[in-house]
Amino acid sequence: MPTTTASAVCTTVGNNILLRLTSGERDVKLKALRELKNQIIGNRTKKLSFLKLGAVPAVAGILSDAVSAVDVADNDENDRIVKDIIVQSAAVLGSFACGFEAGVRAVLDAGADILIQRGCLVEEMPLLKSYMEVVDAGARSLKMIYQSKMAPKYDFLQEENMEFLLSLLNNESENVSGLGASIISHSCKTSLEQKLLFDAGVLKRLTSLLGGSLIQRDASLESIATIFKNNPEVVSQFVGPDTGRTLSCIIEIVKDRFARTRLLASLCLIVIRNASPCYLQDVGIKTKLINNLLELLDDPGRVGDEASFAFSSLIAEKEDMQKLAFEVNGVDKLYNHLQKGSLHPRRFEGILLALADMCSKLECCRSRCLSLQVLKLVVDALAHDSSDVRSAACMCLRSVSRSIKNLSAGSFMNETIVIPLVRLLDDTSTAVQVAALGAISNIVVDFTTRRSTFIRLGGVKLLVQLSKSMDSTIRLNALRALRNLIFLAEDKCKEEIFMELTASLLASLICDPEPSVQEQALALVRNLVDGRINSVEYIFAEDGIILDAVGRQLRIASKAEIEIQGMYVLGNVATGKESHKEAVMDQLLLRAENKAQSCIIKFLQSNDSRLRTAAVWAVLNLTCSSSPGSSGRLVKLHDAGIVSHVKNMVNDPCLDVKVIYFSSLSGFLIVVLMVCLMTSRFSLVQLRVKTALEQFNSFDDSLASTSCLQFLTVRAVGELSHVVDPSSKEEESIANYFRFSMKKNKKKKSTRTVKFCFDVPADSL
Amino acid sequence: MPVRVAESSAPSQVSGAHSEESSPPICSLLTVGQAFSGTQNVSNLQKEEAWRVNVRIQGCDLEHGYLCGTMEALNVPMADTPVVTFWEGEIVDAKNYTFYTGKWEATPEDDIRHWTKFPSFAPLLSRVEADGGKSLDLSNYPYIFMRWKEQYFVNVGTDCGLTIAGFYYVCFSCSDGSINGFYYDPNSRYFFACNSFLTYYCPFQKLELKCANEGRSGFSFSSYELQ
Repeated sequence: MPTTTASAVCTTVGNNILLRLTSGERDVKLKALRELKNQIIGNRTKKLSFLKLGAVPAVAGILSDAVSAVDVADNDENDRIVKDIIVQSAAVLGSFACGFEAGVRAVLDAGADILIQRGCLVEEMPLLKSYMEVVDAGARSLKMIYQSKMAPKYDFLQEENMEFLLSLLNNESENVSGLGASIISHSCKTSLEQKLLFDAGVLKRLTSLLGGSLIQRDASLESIATIFKNNPEVVSQFVGPDTGRTLSCIIEIVKDRFARTRLLASLCLIVIRNASPCYLQDVGIKTKLINNLLELLDDPGRVGDEASFAFSSLIAEKEDMQKLAFEVNGVDKLYNHLQKGSLHPRRFEGILLALADMCSKLECCRSRCLSLQVLKLVVDALAHDSSDVRSAACMCLRSVSRSIKNLSAGSFMNETIVIPLVRLLDDTSTAVQVAALGAISNIVVDFTTRRSTFIRLGGVKLLVQLSKSMDSTIRLNALRALRNLIFLAEDKCKEEIFMELTASLLASLICDPEPSVQEQALALVRNLVDGRINSVEYIFAEDGIILDAVGRQLRIASKAEIEIQGMYVLGNVATGKESHKEAVMDQLLLRAENKAQSCIIKFLQSNDSRLRTAAVWAVLNLTCSSSPGSSGRLVKLHDAGIVSHVKNMVNDPCLDVKVIYFSSLSGFLIVVLMVCLMTSRFSLVQLRVKTALEQFNSFDDSLASTSCLQFLTVRAVGELSHVVDPSSKEEESIANYFRFSMKKNKKKKSTRTVKFCFDVPADSL
Repeated sequence: MPVRVAESSAPSQVSGAHSEESSPPICSLLTVGQAFSGTQNVSNLQKEEAWRVNVRIQGCDLEHGYLCGTMEALNVPMADTPVVTFWEGEIVDAKNYTFYTGKWEATPEDDIRHWTKFPSFAPLLSRVEADGGKSLDLSNYPYIFMRWKEQYFVNVGTDCGLTIAGFYYVCFSCSDGSINGFYYDPNSRYFFACNSFLTYYCPFQKLELKCANEGRSGFSFSSYELQ
């Protein structure tokens, strides 16, 4: 026998209610509103079905009519019914908006928020006790609307709005003041708005509400956190002069018996500490906060879900907090929750992120994770239905795999981890792809010979594919993973990666529109050409298009990071054969159009010591005395004015550059001599050698002079003895000058060593 | 012989109570990827012996005075293959670590006895004796002092009959990238010294390494970037 379905019954009941809402009888209408309210409270399904029936605009219409009809000051029977209709329709609309985004959209589309504000929250409200029920209902309803991100932003910049907000906050009704606080939590986004609210005295009012009812306390804590968030100025102005009382009050609330209040108070303190780390330095308070949040994880509801996110914001990027969290067994406690299984995705995500933050800096946390075998659960989470969980699992894996100690042991490069990770490179969510690339970037820094596992599982193919992505973040992260994979990789591994990448793709990535991608592409090439000497050949593939791209990028780049990587590419190539060195020379001496000098001179003069260092290494490798063509290149570098720039580096504040300079100076002494000897002008020989030796003497300003100078001068003069005929007068002249210099500096031991070093080959020094 | 393997605390470092001024010098030759090769003298009363040793830097965190890498001993008696160990290093920067070891059963006297074997330590001795070197600014000093402690065997099991109980006092020269080290094993201090793998009757086994350019004409540099 045919029967009526449940949904059909619902629709019939719904239609019936809606029909009664249109009744001319106020009593019927009121009764229908009450019925509707009771039907939808806490019931998403009912909300949705009434929404589809068009209940929201119908109720908004009733509210509009009632607001027009009511006399707020009157209190006769008729007005009491109208006021009841306003209360009930506001409650219905608020209920539609509560935790139900489609409902919020419908309420906003019907203009109900404005209606409620205009009809319920009238200017006279502080004076009208008879109207307080309406005001309360309106406030409750608007509060629900303002809990949604879709609600319109409240404009604090308008003076009348600020006045209205203050009137809400000053209202005795907890719903009305709670609404004021909700508006702040919802709409205050910029530092200007934070400042305006602070200047208007809102924070003082909110602080006083901390002593109010539970609703007021919670709403106030949330708003205070909103006004302090990332605003050290407001924090210092407010907390500074009155640190004791305000902070003590919030710290006290951290011990509140209500879990949500404890969470909100903790969040408030976290915001204060994150904005101004000078506050809340007391270890006891920090430990209390950590313990509180770890305990809140036990809450089975939303508070428990959110506690791990609050925990993350407390410890993220802060090693001291991570250490404290470790000391109170934070890793173990998080792991215990993870172990429970069947977690709500939000909670699962939060715990994984909390573990990721704990392991981001400290090896002890990573070790604990590994000894607890947390990774097994994390790896399982890589295949979770929720993309947020998958992403968080990748981040957790990324943090744990920052451990060089375990990378060296090859702890991560195994199929159990690599297979699900590689699979995520194809994920539908870009965020998951990026997170997976982050974890892969670390795991492929494998110091054992297990990289082949990653290649065998198709990792390289996918990474190369992603390096061609339209999304620059994906390109960047894919290239970083490839760069790390190729770091000190064996020849076979390099060969396979290069075959997949191809020279033309690499050349185009070096010239990518995104500077950070250019940097990673250059860093990849830098690693590619390092290692065995035949690796240098990669850069000359396809008529040297990679080398040309590197040179071109160096001539036009304006970002130091790109220039540094580019210079290390050339420096590494310059450790190769003569032809390699000559190719680097060509690139270095080329000038960009409209440029008065070559890029190498610009780099040697750079303010960035990392770039100066990279540039000096390239020059040093080109002038390495062991290669036959070095003297010719030195002459070219000298003629290009590069020698003088390197010489100026003797006073470089960066020790590294100074030391490299001294290392290279022996080579430069040779070129100076070579240049001079070619011109057969003895006086010039003396002059140049003298200048060079003077540079040594100037390195006499610290403890370094006693040891570094000694070594370098010995080595340099030792090399000179190779260049200059041992029987010639030049040698004697140099030796005499050196003895004189050393005597002047009271380096008697050095002088003796110098004498000695004229008798032994430079190589043995 | 039973040799106890000491626990390592690195790289969980001392929280920074000192200023940034005393941060260690940055040296290109002491960065990730750099390789060093040389020998470790393991001569004893019976015979002269030196093992070939290769070292590779794998991680470097100057902010925390941390360095790590692998050490490969090539001609180890009793071992069929080269023996590779992973070590972690403490950089003496007066911020994270001082010249005094304070663990691994090394007394201040042991520390001074070993550090003074490096000629470059001589100018620092008086300050170290006065306050442990806490007031020294080593940021411009052309030598970097470290302690290297082997943590585990990479390619052989712990039952290989070899031990890594001790640690190295190390001095790195920024000028030429050379490394000198002296091995110290507290359990052998009275009668003999140990090197990292086997016990020999010889005092102060010396590790001598030079920056290796691996057949290249110059120095090349790779890098990785952890996320």
